[in-house]
Amino acid sequence: MSELFVELFSEEIPAKLQINARNELKKNIKNFLIDSQIKFNENFNVYSTPNRLVLHVDKIPNEIKLNSEEIRGPNVNAPEKALEGFIRSNNTTLEKIFKKSTEKGEFYFFKKESRKIKVSDLLEKNLSEILTKITWNKSMKWANYDLYWGRPLKSILAIFNKKPLNFVFNHINSSNKTFTDKSLEEGLKIFNNFNSYIKFFKQKGILIDQDLRKKIIQNKINEIINKKNLKIEQNERLIDEIVNIVEKPAVIICDFDKKFLNVPSEILITTMQSHQKYLPTFDKKNNLTNNFFVVSDIKDTKGFVKLGNERVIEARLSDAEFFWEKNKTQNLVKQVDKLKNINYFKGLGSYFDKIQRMRKLSSLISDDFLISKDKIEIASSICKVDLMSDLVGEFPELQGIVGGHFAKFQGFDKEVCLAVSEQYLPNGMESKLPKKMYSVALSLSDKLDSLVGFFGINLKPSSSKDPYAIRRMAISLVRLIVENETKIKLKDLIVYTCSAYRDQGYDFDTKKIQNELSDFIIERLKNYLKEKKIRQDIIESSTFLLGLDDLLKAYKKSLCLNKNIKKEIGFETIAVYKRSSNILNTEEKISIETLGFADPGLFKNDYEKKLYKKINDIRKYFLSTGKDENYEESLKILSSIKNEVNDFFDNVIVNDEDIIIKKNRLELLNMLCKTFDNYFNFSKIEA
Amino acid sequence: MVYKTKKKTLSFQDTIFNLQKYWSKKGCVILQPYDIEVGAGTFHPATTLRSLGPKPWKTAYVQPSRRPTDGRYGDNPNRLQHYYQFQVLIKPSPKEIKKMYLNSLSSIGINYEEHDIRFVEDDWESPTLGAAGLGWEVWCDGMEVTQFTYFQQMAGVECKPVSVEITYGLERLCMFIQNKKSVFDLIWNDEGITYKDVFHKSEKEFSAYNFEYANTDNLFKIFEMLEEETKLLVEKKISLPAYDQCLKCSHVFNILDARGVISVAQRAEYIARIRELTKSIGKVWIESQS
Repeated sequence: MSELFVELFSEEIPAKLQINARNELKKNIKNFLIDSQIKFNENFNVYSTPNRLVLHVDKIPNEIKLNSEEIRGPNVNAPEKALEGFIRSNNTTLEKIFKKSTEKGEFYFFKKESRKIKVSDLLEKNLSEILTKITWNKSMKWANYDLYWGRPLKSILAIFNKKPLNFVFNHINSSNKTFTDKSLEEGLKIFNNFNSYIKFFKQKGILIDQDLRKKIIQNKINEIINKKNLKIEQNERLIDEIVNIVEKPAVIICDFDKKFLNVPSEILITTMQSHQKYLPTFDKKNNLTNNFFVVSDIKDTKGFVKLGNERVIEARLSDAEFFWEKNKTQNLVKQVDKLKNINYFKGLGSYFDKIQRMRKLSSLISDDFLISKDKIEIASSICKVDLMSDLVGEFPELQGIVGGHFAKFQGFDKEVCLAVSEQYLPNGMESKLPKKMYSVALSLSDKLDSLVGFFGINLKPSSSKDPYAIRRMAISLVRLIVENETKIKLKDLIVYTCSAYRDQGYDFDTKKIQNELSDFIIERLKNYLKEKKIRQDIIESSTFLLGLDDLLKAYKKSLCLNKNIKKEIGFETIAVYKRSSNILNTEEKISIETLGFADPGLFKNDYEKKLYKKINDIRKYFLSTGKDENYEESLKILSSIKNEVNDFFDNVIVNDEDIIIKKNRLELLNMLCKTFDNYFNFSKIEA
Repeated sequence: MVYKTKKKTLSFQDTIFNLQKYWSKKGCVILQPYDIEVGAGTFHPATTLRSLGPKPWKTAYVQPSRRPTDGRYGDNPNRLQHYYQFQVLIKPSPKEIKKMYLNSLSSIGINYEEHDIRFVEDDWESPTLGAAGLGWEVWCDGMEVTQFTYFQQMAGVECKPVSVEITYGLERLCMFIQNKKSVFDLIWNDEGITYKDVFHKSEKEFSAYNFEYANTDNLFKIFEMLEEETKLLVEKKISLPAYDQCLKCSHVFNILDARGVISVAQRAEYIARIRELTKSIGKVWIESQS
């Protein structure tokens, strides 16, 4: 049993590409070993630092045995050249070739004897292709070479069973050496096994294993925050990025001047996190503190690293502070007019035009929400002003949030400020969802205006391209409605939005937009339900012939059935429905036109009568529940018909000789199915 | 050769001298700044045009760079509408380029072993040049001091061979070396002249010009004239004069942008127009190279 150990040394590969390359390499090597019938330790790992991508697989046999096999050659009628080629490529002679008939005709065959193959030979032959199969989200070329890689690839070390594997990958020859100094790309050193390699770098403080780096960084941070009574935000994405941009992490705690804490914390946090990859800290009450963490790639023996980073954050924060002080006093209301100069989107007017539409729309929504019309109109009017500020110019990701702070500073109503701040939320599937009605109303009107606008100028996303993130917008809209249980008439709102555009002189085809947007939003609801792990057949049933105003209902019903499908109420409901509809499906083909009701006068026995009564009881239930329907209760009621249905099928023969009786019984079953449609159409559910 | 050591703080001009000497030793043609206003060292024809085509090329030069929108009337310690870049371009990109770069830092008093030097992902794109590249921004203890880019495309054409471009932000670098919080406090030479003495007045006046006084009606006309001239020269297949006119177009556009008279939609259109010019010039240049 031997180990395979490969190191690909390159210039610094960005974190995301590294993570992707690790996964790709792991998958490709695994597929190769499985396809080649080579056994291996499946718990193997791929490691990386910015400069090194390292593969280590152990418990691989040195040899594999291949069974004998018959290899088919050319057809016997093929030209002689083909046969010669076949003999040559199999490295054999004419005497060993035989003819054999198959379904497709008579062919030449060659019997390959069982043989042993060295795994090292197989690896040398295939490694180049395994590396070629790594796909990069973004890759580049360099110098005169034709190879595409994440960043320039400098050397390949490849070892099997402590001996070098020799192969050529584009312009690079593999060897048993690598650069030990990643900065100057010097210090070539031979390694012949993974352990000595790991050990060598560990002595230099370099950790090849990303998980180990992560643990060490987290431990060190925890140690410091416990001592200092601080907290950090659990930001996995940032931590993972940091882990993959260092090889010998050193955690340094730094601080900035407390005076900057007067600037809104989001601005400070964004500066630290996205610009500098620092980790901000918070006190026990979740207030931002002036301490932050830098993860350095060297030990800061002379204190230069701490000093330098503190100077950088100081410069960046004073810039931010300068803009904050300047912008916060600029009167929001007085600036609204200037939005006329800012284009919202080509063909959809200026931001001033947009907020006029949003104001109308949000004011209509306020009627449904029972919130103050005045307040939501104010929020709509000022919500885009921050786009003209220096701060949003510097921190585009803080649009809205910055506006909310301006509004707060200028004494606007609390709910108005929050609505401005949360107007872009949610932004997709994972993002935070606003809960306050003013925020929901503003966000809904922003998204509806955009969706109608983009559909109006025919910029719908195609199956592969969605440059304006319209899908995300629609998913966010769906979330606002279903997760907040928002009761709005979406269909009317779309019509109303169209008319707001028409009032501004846009020639929008309301009917067309309404139809297309409706299909689009329902498709997003389906995706959303899929993300929520709802069974596909339940999704199909709940969205079958769905109207736009019933998104919330569809969502709740599918959630409820999904939860109960293995429980009695779900299981029985479906069983009963299926049993009845199956008969109808076969019989209906014999063309019996149903009237929609059965005639009790034609009933011959109690089973029919009892079933009929029960169906009517259930109908009464659905008539009376209305708005406050409890879906679990509905399922329970539907499933409670089980006994009547079973008794009916056990004792009554639907297929009576008398065609009138038969028809009446089918009508009864049809009534039952129709009654079940009150929940939704169960016909698409797989039993 | 002996570089100035850390004991005495390296002045702004010595930093430039040392970089020039260093890259000269590496075989680069040391050029002087291009004599037309440009937004970055990349726009110098020694980079844009020379990075196209098969011929090897090594150069290094200082390039004054103008970014009208970044002007702050000399009030902001970190922002200027006119600043200096030190630009290195080598085609094809050499194998040992990282080592060369790190040693160049030593030549200006930054010992890479004492600082946290990081190559942070930063892919570069210039819509007006029709150019794109992959690379990093180099951080020194958290401060961005250099852009390091492998050109993949220039003037809409795939680069073959690939050039590597190293762009040092000289003011930033010197603020780091001299430990200054404001660019205006930088020591320019050993006689005690500061950056403020040299450039403060100019920042103030050019900010006023860029933001307030530039005659936009005229500039719009000038843009049209320059564009027309460029097209004419492209037809005549003289790429270098054509490129000069195109650079002027680009600068006029930047001033108009700073004056705030170009809407978002127009912006994209102007950029596309300049890119078309650059592309057509690139084509003529490449034809002349083979």
